[in-house]
Order: sequence, then C-alpha cells, then structure tokens
Amino acid sequence: MRFFYRAILIPVILVLGLSQAGAETIELDYRLKWLFNASVAGDILALEQGFFHRAGLDVTVKEGGPEKDAIKELELGYADFGVASADQVIRALDKGADVVVLAQIFQVNPMQWIYRDNQPEILTLSDLKGRHIGVTFGGNDETIMNTLLAKAGLGPGDVRISSVRFDFTPFLTKKVEIWPVYRNSQGVILEERLAREGEGVRFFNPAAFGVNFVANSVVTSKKTLKTRQGIVTAFVTALLEGWEFAMDPANEARVLEEIGKKNKGTQGGIRSMQLAATRDLVRPSKSMPIGKIDVKAWEQTEAIMVKERQVKGPVNILSRLELR
Amino acid sequence: MLFRRIYQFLIVYCLGVGLLLGVKYAAGLSDYVIPGPDLIAKTARAMASIYFFDGLNTLSVTILGQMISIAMAFSVGILGRKSSWAGSFIKVMAYNIQAYPIVALAPIIFILLGDGFLSRLLIASMICYFPLLLSVLGIMASPVKDIEHFYLATGRMRWQLEVKIRAFENLSKLITVISGSATLAMAGTIVAEFIAADAGIGYSIRIALYQSDLAKILTALFMIGILISVYQGLLETVGAQVKTKWSAPLGGELI
Repeated sequence: MRFFYRAILIPVILVLGLSQAGAETIELDYRLKWLFNASVAGDILALEQGFFHRAGLDVTVKEGGPEKDAIKELELGYADFGVASADQVIRALDKGADVVVLAQIFQVNPMQWIYRDNQPEILTLSDLKGRHIGVTFGGNDETIMNTLLAKAGLGPGDVRISSVRFDFTPFLTKKVEIWPVYRNSQGVILEERLAREGEGVRFFNPAAFGVNFVANSVVTSKKTLKTRQGIVTAFVTALLEGWEFAMDPANEARVLEEIGKKNKGTQGGIRSMQLAATRDLVRPSKSMPIGKIDVKAWEQTEAIMVKERQVKGPVNILSRLELR
Repeated sequence: MLFRRIYQFLIVYCLGVGLLLGVKYAAGLSDYVIPGPDLIAKTARAMASIYFFDGLNTLSVTILGQMISIAMAFSVGILGRKSSWAGSFIKVMAYNIQAYPIVALAPIIFILLGDGFLSRLLIASMICYFPLLLSVLGIMASPVKDIEHFYLATGRMRWQLEVKIRAFENLSKLITVISGSATLAMAGTIVAEFIAADAGIGYSIRIALYQSDLAKILTALFMIGILISVYQGLLETVGAQVKTKWSAPLGGELI
C-alpha cells in the first residue's frame, strides 16, 4: 500500500497539479475607448466568442467613455491593454509616456462630417468656402478641419466655424450646415433620423481628400511588451480573431446578438446599420488584413499634430509602432 | 476675512498639487498622467491670462445667477413661509428638482434658450437657487416666538415686520447661506459651460480635457479657486458690515 502511494499516487497528483497550474488562465484588463456599441464589435466578440479564453486569457473588457484614458490606465496599472486614438498616443509620447501601438483597428477614421444632400456637394476642398462648419474645439476634429482648410488654402474668414458639443440640435435645426460625427455611430443615427423626415445626407470624409488622421488603435506599455511578449502576442492574435469574426457578414446575427446584450439603448435596426458602417471602416477592402498599422497615416498624423502645435515636436512615432 | 479666504485656498491648493506630485514621483508616472512642476509652471505662464479672463467671464455669470437666485429664493421663501399647502408644495418641488441631474435637463434648456449666455445663467441659477430656497424657507418658516408674541398680542404684527424679525434673528445664518451659495452658483455656471457654451472657464476645462492636459486643468482650477475665494471673501465682508449696521442701535454704538 505504501508503495502504491509513493510510486503511483503521489506522482499522479503532482502531474495533475502541474498540468492544472499550466492551464490557469492569465487575467488581463482591457480598456476600450468608447461605450459598448457596434464600433467595438470585435472587442466584444473576442470575449464572448471565446477567442480570449482559447488563448488562455481571462480578459475583462472595460467600457470606455469621454473621461476614460486607456494610456493613463496602462501607466497606473489599471489596465494591461487599451484602445487609444492616434492623437492620444502622440500626445502621451510627447509627455514621456511609455506606450506602443500593437494594432490599428480602424483603417479609415470614423471622424467625418455629415451634411444634407440638398446642400452643394463637397467635391473639392475649396467647396468648403463659405460653409458653416461645426468643430469640437480641442477635439481631433478641430485638428483635422484646420489641416483640411490649410490644404484648401482657406483662411479663418473663408468659413464659419461653430463650437460643437454633445447634442445635435444646431444641425437638426439647420443652424450649422456641416456637423462632425463618428460615421459608424452618430452618423448612422442622424442619417436614419433625417431619412424619416424625408431628408438625405452625405458624409464628408477627410481621407478622401488626402488627410489620413489615424483613429483607434490597440496599445500597451513598452514594459509589458518587453516582459510579457508571449501574452501580448496571444492577446493581439485573439483580439484580431474576434475582429475577423465580427466583421464577417456571415456572422452578423451572432454579432448583433452580443452587441445587443451590452448596448440595450440602441434599436436593433440601428445596430445593424452601425455594424455595416463599422465594416467599411475596419476593412475597406477584402484583401486588407484587420489590424494593419498604416505607417504612412501615422507619419501624417504626427506631422499634422506637430504643425498644429498639438505637441512640442516630433515623437518618432515609427519607433512605437509594433509592425507585425 | 478676504485675505484669510485667499491664503486658506492657497494652502488647500498647494496641498492638493503636492499630493499629486507625491503620487507622481512615488509611482514614477509620466507628465502625461500627472504633469511635473516644470510643466505646470510653463503651462500656468502660458495660460494664466487667458484663464483669468475666462474665469472673470464665468464669475460675471455666477454673480448675476446668484443675485437672481437670492431674489427668487427670498420672494418664494417669504411667500411660502407659512406652514400652508403652498409652503410644503414649494419644498417638495425644490427637493424634487434638486434630484434631477442638470446634464439631463441641459438639452431641454439648450433647445429653449440656445447655448449662449441665457442657458449658462439659467443653469447657474437653478443649481444655486434650490438649496438657497430651502434654507430661506427654513429660516422664514421658523417663528421667533419671544419677539413675535408681543406684536401678535398687541395686534401690530404685519408680514413685513415678521420677515424683518426672522431675518434679523437669523442674520448670521443668512449671510453664511448667501456666501456659501456663491460656490453653488459658480459650480452651476461651470457645469453649464462644460456641457454647452463657447465661453468661460468651464469651456476651457472641457478643451483641456479633450487634450488630456492636466497642467491646463490645474491652472484653470487655480483661477477658479482664487476668483471664488475673493468673491466669497467680499460677500462675507459685506455681510459682516450689514450685520454691524443692523445690530447697532440708531445713532448709537454697538455694545
């Protein structure tokens, strides 16, 4: 009996214990940039479809919001990974933060402008002349619009700029003609609301005029990248699998179901349209891999921010892009 | 009183910034999370004059909003001082409206009044008015029995006299409430500017938040603190003078 214990049972218990320990999942916190909606479909599906779990990761996906800043949370240890806009990343680097970009979710910036289709179409940047445009002072739409106006050779007197905030009333009441929106969230809601009133809209996309200001990207700290490289790789791989799944039209019903569980405030029809709009921004062409870091767009974003004096000087952004 | 307010604020502000810097150096945080003294000083130099005038803009709305609130609170408080149905109705209404978050009411206000001066004034008045009203109601609804009894017994009591007696007997309380309501009016104005205005210190804070610039926010907070300290100090000084004049017998000296 003693032999049984020593020779068989104890090794079996040890092996089982070790294998159990090896199978333990790694807990991670992931801070999103914005609230749960179709624009974070891939993040939701990476969790709910089990991609994180299969990679041995127990990820808590935390909702973002206007006052949430993933880069600050990385530094404070409240998050291991996060989503930040390019301007946040460049500002943070300018002030000594230790952040690296792992993947770029949006290939086209959702930050665009909406206007009614009974207004003259904006075919060239000089068509902005004399228009009444809304911008969020201090927001990245202000930086983008300044760049567009400079590119068009338009001065402050050539357009009328109004300050924009949370509610759309000035646009709905036609006080402001061209209004900034996130194309795949507010843009869809406004488009649908105006369609009900018999009005059509167009979107003014700065990328179509050569201004590629990068939007949301997945970030972590350089320290995490160095010390936990395996985990970083597992996380990014699982996350991008989630995005692949979420952006596949064949999975639409499942994706909408999961988004609906977390975003009960938006109607099903709107969620479906938001998802379709998100697809066009995340994967503008079928051949484009999801998460690809657009180096030229990052360089342009850095150059714009330097020119607009949003940062003291160049931050050598290329050294912070983890090109896979 | 004025200088005491200012140096007390400076102590609190320096302690707050000191605590932040302590956290920054203890945790080794970058300037992006908590700015260092150099960055704070540099930002303060660059933004001080802009934020000072933004602060004055906010303070002007604050003062106007507070004056309107005081006038309304005293009018309604005097009318509703009797423990009648109207008095209790006003109290219930005040408690209920206080419970509504102003950010939820703001869109309605902006639809009705636009997003300029009037909206700021209304929100400042709303945030300041209801606490003020409850205090005034409380004071005006509490009889000063010892004094009022004489006038009631002799049949010389009039409503103006009743209000005067109650105000005089609670003068210290009223001055404290009015001075304290300045903070509420300031907070209301800043909230309104933060939500939807294109002027004032609240608007500047919103822009700084968009840029994750804590150094700018600290500078703005300093301006707000200094301006409200000066304003409250002045209110207290005026209050003390009013108290002295009311307390001194006509042509005589205060004992």
